[in-house]
Amino acid sequence: MTFRQARYDEPLVCELAPGRAAAEAPAAIPGLPERWRRKTPLAWPELSELEVVRHFTRLSQMNFGIDTSAYPLGSCTMKYNPKVSELLARRRTAAELHPYQPEETVQGALEILWRLEKGLAKVTGLPEASLQPAAGAHGEFAALLMVRAYFRERGEEAQRTEVLLPDTAHGTNPASAMMAGYTTREIPSKDGCVHLDELRAAVGPKTAAFMLTNPNTAGLFESEIVEIAGAVHDAGGLLYYDGANLNAILGVTNPGRMGFDVAHLNLHKTFATPHGGGGPGAGVLAANDRLAPYLPVPRVVKRGRKFALDYDRPKSIGKIKTAYGNFGLDLRAYVFLLSHGEEGLKHIARRAVLNSNYLAHRLGRFLPRPFRPLVKHEFLLSGAPLKEKGVRTLDVAKRLLDEGVHAPTIYFPSLVEEAMMIEFPETESRQELDAFVAAFERAVSDTPENLHAAPRNTSVGRVDEVLAARQLLLSWKDLRAAAANLEASGR
Amino acid sequence: MARWIPGDRSEEVALLKELGLSDTEELFADVPKKVRLGRMGVGAGKDEPDVVRAVDQILDRNRPYSKFASFLGGRIGTRFVPAAVDAILSRSEFYTAYTPYQPEASQGTLQAMFEFQSLWVELTGMDAANASLYDGATSMGEALLLCHRVHEGHRFLVPASLPWEERSVLENYATGFPIRIESIPFDPRTGCLDLAWVRTEVGRGDVFGLLADVPNGFGHLDEGLLELKSLLGTVPLVIGADPLALSVLEPPGSWGADVVVGEGQGFGMPPNFGGPLVGLFACRKELLRVSPGRIVGATRDVEGRRAFTLTLQTREQHIRRSRATSNICTNQSLVALAFVVYASLVGARGLAELQGRVTERAHTLASALGGVDGLSAPRFEAPYLGEFAIAVGRGNAHAFLDRLRRRKVLGGHPLADPRPGRPGLGEELILTAARDTTDDKEIQRYAKAARAALAATGAA
Repeated sequence: MTFRQARYDEPLVCELAPGRAAAEAPAAIPGLPERWRRKTPLAWPELSELEVVRHFTRLSQMNFGIDTSAYPLGSCTMKYNPKVSELLARRRTAAELHPYQPEETVQGALEILWRLEKGLAKVTGLPEASLQPAAGAHGEFAALLMVRAYFRERGEEAQRTEVLLPDTAHGTNPASAMMAGYTTREIPSKDGCVHLDELRAAVGPKTAAFMLTNPNTAGLFESEIVEIAGAVHDAGGLLYYDGANLNAILGVTNPGRMGFDVAHLNLHKTFATPHGGGGPGAGVLAANDRLAPYLPVPRVVKRGRKFALDYDRPKSIGKIKTAYGNFGLDLRAYVFLLSHGEEGLKHIARRAVLNSNYLAHRLGRFLPRPFRPLVKHEFLLSGAPLKEKGVRTLDVAKRLLDEGVHAPTIYFPSLVEEAMMIEFPETESRQELDAFVAAFERAVSDTPENLHAAPRNTSVGRVDEVLAARQLLLSWKDLRAAAANLEASGR
Repeated sequence: MARWIPGDRSEEVALLKELGLSDTEELFADVPKKVRLGRMGVGAGKDEPDVVRAVDQILDRNRPYSKFASFLGGRIGTRFVPAAVDAILSRSEFYTAYTPYQPEASQGTLQAMFEFQSLWVELTGMDAANASLYDGATSMGEALLLCHRVHEGHRFLVPASLPWEERSVLENYATGFPIRIESIPFDPRTGCLDLAWVRTEVGRGDVFGLLADVPNGFGHLDEGLLELKSLLGTVPLVIGADPLALSVLEPPGSWGADVVVGEGQGFGMPPNFGGPLVGLFACRKELLRVSPGRIVGATRDVEGRRAFTLTLQTREQHIRRSRATSNICTNQSLVALAFVVYASLVGARGLAELQGRVTERAHTLASALGGVDGLSAPRFEAPYLGEFAIAVGRGNAHAFLDRLRRRKVLGGHPLADPRPGRPGLGEELILTAARDTTDDKEIQRYAKAARAALAATGAA
């Protein structure tokens, strides 16, 4: 495919229309004391609607999205975001609801939350769910606070200070453990999966929880999951499910069945809500009977035919954000759940895993694949052999951009040298898979010179990240100061 | 069922054949029988027309605030959103993109986030801002942890008037650490911080940070805030600020704030029943390396052209893991985009005029409600902008608001903690807000409904 990304030398929005400042100061604010009044006017321009729309439309054209390109980022589950969800989320009956409206006036919103929670409880096999977390990592943090509250009640909080996780864990896992005040301990992997003997040796009276994603970040199903759950529970610890990779096992198994006590899901992955260029996401907390009493308040309940917000949960950890979660995203996820239903969800897992295995099989001809061949939603390749010709995984990633596809997740997990982590969800066709294989082949077989010079077809060429960290120009204010300095030194 | 999975059965058969398999079931041979599922029980899928009908049927049970005379406010706003904002947010190159980990292909998102950071820097007068956190409350939580990282001590002081949700979020962010959050008492007449109390407590040497908000939880501008930094010395000062208010107020950077956080949803997003929101976060440059969240920086590409990229990533979870400054990964990019698009459409002068209009409306509302017998409006004597607390003399806030609702008025929200048995603000307090679109008729309707509601309480 010939691909050329739009290339505008677009100024910052605040650099547009220089010199066109407001003619006069705005009228005084009634009742505003002089001491509070802003003395230097806010430096932001007066622009016409067209100027603003054109600026941001140009910026949008300097972006990859799922709608423009295949997006095989491992562990990110970049599947198609259905348009009907966008339509329904923009209804006035959804958008123009203030969270503090009386319950009588938001029965529909409460019903959506209630139905989605019930649906996700069934999907996870855990009896209760809360939609309050804003994202996956936020859900991890909240779940660990629930774990802490659980052990506090049992008088074991001071003793259980350690969270265990495999060396392949997402970075958010250890970071969430840190934020919840736990120390972390990594369990080494064996052939890409949890080393059961190492885990058995590590669990004990200090263990609060073991955090695991299954399938894991190597794309492998942890087949010893029953033994893992047994080892953690026998030591009195809890088992935490990181739901980032749930897509692969929808309807095949679920966290409850595998023995997990508490889980988070990312609705922006498995349930197709858009990623928005980095957010908003939507997180879900699901818990078994032991941990459900600690879920954040309010809980959405049904009393007779009425839905209500229940704050009377004495064991609850309280609030982890304002209001009830990212409702706009929850609504989209509900649309997705309702559309697919039982068979659709099962089909998702099968097709995603099929896509992944097919692609792994084809790409395995170009680069080595660590670990066993049967994978789930994603797989790993090692770019290590390319080093011989002076090429790194980073160069291949940049070269792929020139083909009009997004790069895979790279350099993660760290146990594979020069890792590439590839995930093609169920919404990508065989045609796209084959096109990616062809693009990948062109990329890895290109000359080192071309690979180092990539990308050429994107809005900008290879970006100097070291310079960014050194000069730390983080705002328009910094740019103005730097320009002034330059001018001063020039004189 | 929707056509979101491509091809038919034959495509899958062909793919399986390439793998030497005959059934997708074989792809799950590594999942032990013991954990396999039968049915989930989530029901059958629906076609798009049926989905639209079913979801609309549920949504139609909502009554949007626009059907009422609405005076709901707090951190979440109901300001008018120009159509152009959603036109930009609907560009799927923006909304279907991932985090810009490949800068060359993501200049659109990166530049927009740089512009967002620039705007929050201009509004706050701080050195640097990040590319957003989840919401205002979690920004406060992250600020608390930042203070704890850089200053000795175990006590964090917050106003007693802080909304209970934010207080609860702060308690949760503090849970894992030896931190005690304490309430700064307020003057019962003005609702403003007791500075003498602050001076004494800071003098004990075990306070590692203080959070204050503008406007405060009662909607007021507390002049004491302008003196706070001189009381605190090296103890970090966190300011929670409303972005619209900052368009007319002296920026917190000029009166000593070390961190400025806020909720940005009111710039360009409808409330969406409370989410998505967007957490604003700015700080002094010295604190940048221990601050949370993604940061976009300007740099050059190989040809020397200006370009943008994520920077200072060594603070973040995907690099630093258990030693990261925060666990945040996904943030609120698209809402941050709405924030900067909105401000650019309205302009600096437009924002100040908007705050002026809302403030004038709020003062008109206060005069109207002030004449209602049995209502203390505003409850506190301090300057305010768009909102203020009121107090019902008889009965409680819930009963009063419920009576208003029956007269098509959403009169505000109760300030008390709804969790049974929790200490906090009184059952009589309500936060009521003017909107940019509040007209005289709505104000009269509120006053009339309030009279009727209080008369009914009196009779009962």
